[in-house]
Amino acid sequence: MIDLIQMIVNGIAVGSSYALMGLAMVIIYKTSEVPNFAQGEMALISSYFAMMLLSSFNMSVYSAFLLTFVFAVFLGCFLEFAILRRAKEPNVLGMIVVTIGIEMVLLGFVSWKFGAEQKTMPFPIGPYDSFIIGDIFISKLEVLTLVAAVLLMSVLYLFFKYSKLGLAMKATQQNSVAAQIVGIRTNRIMMMTWGISSLVGAVAGLLISPTIMHPFMMWDPMLKGFAAAVMGGMTSLPGVVIAAYMLGVIENLFGGYVSIEFKTVVAFVIIVLVLCIKPSGLFARYYVKKV
Amino acid sequence: MDMKRDYYEDVQLFTSPVVVFWFAVLIGSLYLFPLVVDNYYIYVANYIAINIIVAAGLNLLVGYTGQISLGHAGFFAIGAYGTVVLMAKAGFPFLLALPCAAFIAAFFGFLLGLPALRLEGPYLAIATLGFGLTITQIIGRIELFGGRDGLHAPDITIGSWVLDTDKEFYFLLITLTIFLLLFMRNLIKTRVGRAFIAIRDADIAAQTMGVNIIYYKTLAFAVSAFYAGIAGGLYAFVLKFIEPEIFTLLMSIMFLAMVVVGGLGSMMGAIVGATLLCWLDLKLRNILDIPYIGDWLEQLSKQWFTLTGVSNIQYIVFGSIMIGIVLFEPLGLYGVWIRTKKYWRTWPF
Amino acid sequence: MKKKLMLVLFVSLAFLLSLAPNLFAEEGVTDTEIHIGSWGPQTGPGAAWGAVPRGTGAYFQWINDNGGIHGRKIVYHMFDDGYNPAKTKAGVKELQEGTGMFAWVGGVGTSPGLAVRDYLAKKNIPWVGPSAGSMHWVKPPQKNLFAVYPLYAGEAKALVKYAVEKMGKKRIAIAYLNDEYGKNGLRGALAELKARGMKAVAQVSMEAKDSDLKPHVMQLRKSKADVVLMWTTPTHSVRIVGISKAMKFAPQFMSSSTTSDFPLMMHITKGLWQGVICGTFGELPDSDLPLLVKYKKEVFDKYAPKEERWGLFYYAGILFAEPMIEALKNVGRDLTRENFVTAMERINGFRGIGPEVSFGPYNKNDIYSRQGTSQTFLVQCLAGGKAKKLTDWMDTN
Repeated sequence: MIDLIQMIVNGIAVGSSYALMGLAMVIIYKTSEVPNFAQGEMALISSYFAMMLLSSFNMSVYSAFLLTFVFAVFLGCFLEFAILRRAKEPNVLGMIVVTIGIEMVLLGFVSWKFGAEQKTMPFPIGPYDSFIIGDIFISKLEVLTLVAAVLLMSVLYLFFKYSKLGLAMKATQQNSVAAQIVGIRTNRIMMMTWGISSLVGAVAGLLISPTIMHPFMMWDPMLKGFAAAVMGGMTSLPGVVIAAYMLGVIENLFGGYVSIEFKTVVAFVIIVLVLCIKPSGLFARYYVKKV
Repeated sequence: MDMKRDYYEDVQLFTSPVVVFWFAVLIGSLYLFPLVVDNYYIYVANYIAINIIVAAGLNLLVGYTGQISLGHAGFFAIGAYGTVVLMAKAGFPFLLALPCAAFIAAFFGFLLGLPALRLEGPYLAIATLGFGLTITQIIGRIELFGGRDGLHAPDITIGSWVLDTDKEFYFLLITLTIFLLLFMRNLIKTRVGRAFIAIRDADIAAQTMGVNIIYYKTLAFAVSAFYAGIAGGLYAFVLKFIEPEIFTLLMSIMFLAMVVVGGLGSMMGAIVGATLLCWLDLKLRNILDIPYIGDWLEQLSKQWFTLTGVSNIQYIVFGSIMIGIVLFEPLGLYGVWIRTKKYWRTWPF
Repeated sequence: MKKKLMLVLFVSLAFLLSLAPNLFAEEGVTDTEIHIGSWGPQTGPGAAWGAVPRGTGAYFQWINDNGGIHGRKIVYHMFDDGYNPAKTKAGVKELQEGTGMFAWVGGVGTSPGLAVRDYLAKKNIPWVGPSAGSMHWVKPPQKNLFAVYPLYAGEAKALVKYAVEKMGKKRIAIAYLNDEYGKNGLRGALAELKARGMKAVAQVSMEAKDSDLKPHVMQLRKSKADVVLMWTTPTHSVRIVGISKAMKFAPQFMSSSTTSDFPLMMHITKGLWQGVICGTFGELPDSDLPLLVKYKKEVFDKYAPKEERWGLFYYAGILFAEPMIEALKNVGRDLTRENFVTAMERINGFRGIGPEVSFGPYNKNDIYSRQGTSQTFLVQCLAGGKAKKLTDWMDTN
């Protein structure tokens, strides 16, 4: 029984980092219908930037993180402005290839600049300090990730639902020409969307980096985050978070009780099954297909 | 351009005797190629030919039918493992093991095509990606396939002739490639190909016109998986050793990049894209050896970046090519060719 | 259709014309040069091991600057294969058939190495010191392949033996990577346990891609092991040790030599690596063996780029090349491949910064005619990344 609870707790803990990546992806998809494969690397470069600030310039933790967030927002805006906007024919495949291209460029830059050896991130909370409740343990870092994920999700959900900017973003996604006619500056909206998404990604990256830090660290969280986003429906923010937690918990339960070897396999099998039943994800509200 | 007046003109392989002549020259030079160059370049040509086959198959799926597949490394792996296991463990001769493995891959393609009927865009991308990843995981865990230790590919014997060197393998490979490419080109020109194109352009409209989407979509997946399977089987013999970790997500992404960079929906584009990317992949190994740029990069690395990480520039190059092609020439390299042709046709106006 | 054909013809002609002229593939030896090749992953997930061929390169540079070998300078060709066997094979073929290598040294990775092993064997090209302790190099032994890296299985045996005999532990669990490297470690450990009539209380395997190791650690904890032998990547070992500490699970951790770079491990585990016992295949980074100190001063300080770290992987590159240099020196001026192989076979009890290296005349039934080292010694990590030598060099046959 204790093991079961521990496994569920583990699942929730790991699901939080998937949820953060998934959130970042969904934000972009909500406004511009682009599945952003470069999400992981954008987070990566922000984390390495933070590490560089902390170790080479010896800044205090809070100012370094603040600067990193600013950098992340600029990075997102810049990428949208310089690259995504120039695409002449935005069909899905083209966008996927462009984002994969961006991902490779960023990955190349980070590996070139920092070398491939594993580094450490001087984070205030050690990755393995933990709270013990009875026999169950959960590490402090994971609690922080959980709090961050839920907090960000709530803030973003409220933002999209109630604020003017959020409404403008939804309008841009639904019909960008009409939005422009109404007076929304769609270009600026897209830029801001990418900025916000990059910020969320940077938070995810910073929370993953204390455990492990090398140029390929974001591939796995990004894939799982993407998978969670797809499973939850690419347009629903709470959906992503719930799907990410489900994924984490099912993975851990399967690993604990059935077979630890096929853990990653089962994650994708579940996703395919879910997609068979609900093609646009679990929580997407509608799936409009234009003829 | 070349205007076609009736259906038969469109389907024709050779439009005039001149074309036949040049085609024969091309085939002849391809066969004479290994006799004039180094052994290393024959190896490179083998590697490129295999990628051309995969790119052609993927082009059918992505370019002509409008689907997305990020998991073609999975079919590639099934082809490779299928051929080697059938030959080594079940004693099949090579010429039988290769098609069998390819058909097994086609069957898995069909299986993947079934959920793909309802999925689109990023959902399909994730489903195929997941498929590609799980195949390698499952193969890595089954002892029959050597598990993570990998398998050594046995020698190919056709009749009593043992294919030992790169040169002999090249002849086999080039024959297969030409045959497969001709088959693909003809397939596209028939009603099957037109059905694929109809599905890409407007699948609901195609359904109303009587195109059986279920049949054709799964067929597209199966045929492209077949091509990937054959290429995988041949790859096992080029490399002589296979291991699950070779078939990574990066490989699937490279296949997709080849098709997109070359030009979607154009077989010529797939060939050119595959050739370019493979050749770059092999050549960018020692970036510091390039005459002038190499020294400049070295200086740059010493000052701002790390010298040890300088080989990562190949990622930057590939990424930039992918971004550049999609942004500036969505029709890929084939689009660039068409544009230059049009320009020179109407020159000097 | 005609225009397309013209395009293809044009492209292929251009391609043909761009090919380099056909260089006669020589033995790789001239009056003033010896061409030696190596490879390593400079990019990709395995890039941390890229330091090995770089270390070899610096070592050869040092040798050249100190007079070379009998008047010949070593021309070192290293390429990046990104841990992709297709690229390894392409690179080896290109260098071998283009410039023509005399011999190959090092070469990181089991699967990249296996892709080229048969090719080199068929051409009888000597290859010294592949950077992987796999059984594939010596089972069956090949005339041209000299292995310097001690076998993983032997090292695992030594670790288990120490745990049972010297530390009196009874419950041994093994966490291993599901590949050739991990499985070799598993086999060695199980063989040693079986010889003592014991069994492993848990065998937990993981994939290189797994980033969440909590289920694995939970299984280890459930088995109530008092020794956990880890045969995984450094990244995974870090996670296992960390999660165990968080779960308040504190067995004695033992690990393979790939994690014996204590300063690095202490740095990335933020001190949790203290107390772990490792095998080694060479001296430790801060050992005071005069030869190692000399290498650090003359090779590393002088030739390594500024972001390079004096770590295990870097001087492993030197370690794998030392027997080759010794043999080249012993051959003298008349350098052919047969003489070189004979000189390698005559190496007996050679010690550089690694274990004792001895080869013997080629005997296809004796793996030790081509497996040069079988010694290891155990160390325990102390505070600050220092190491305590637990045993001396011991045989692991």
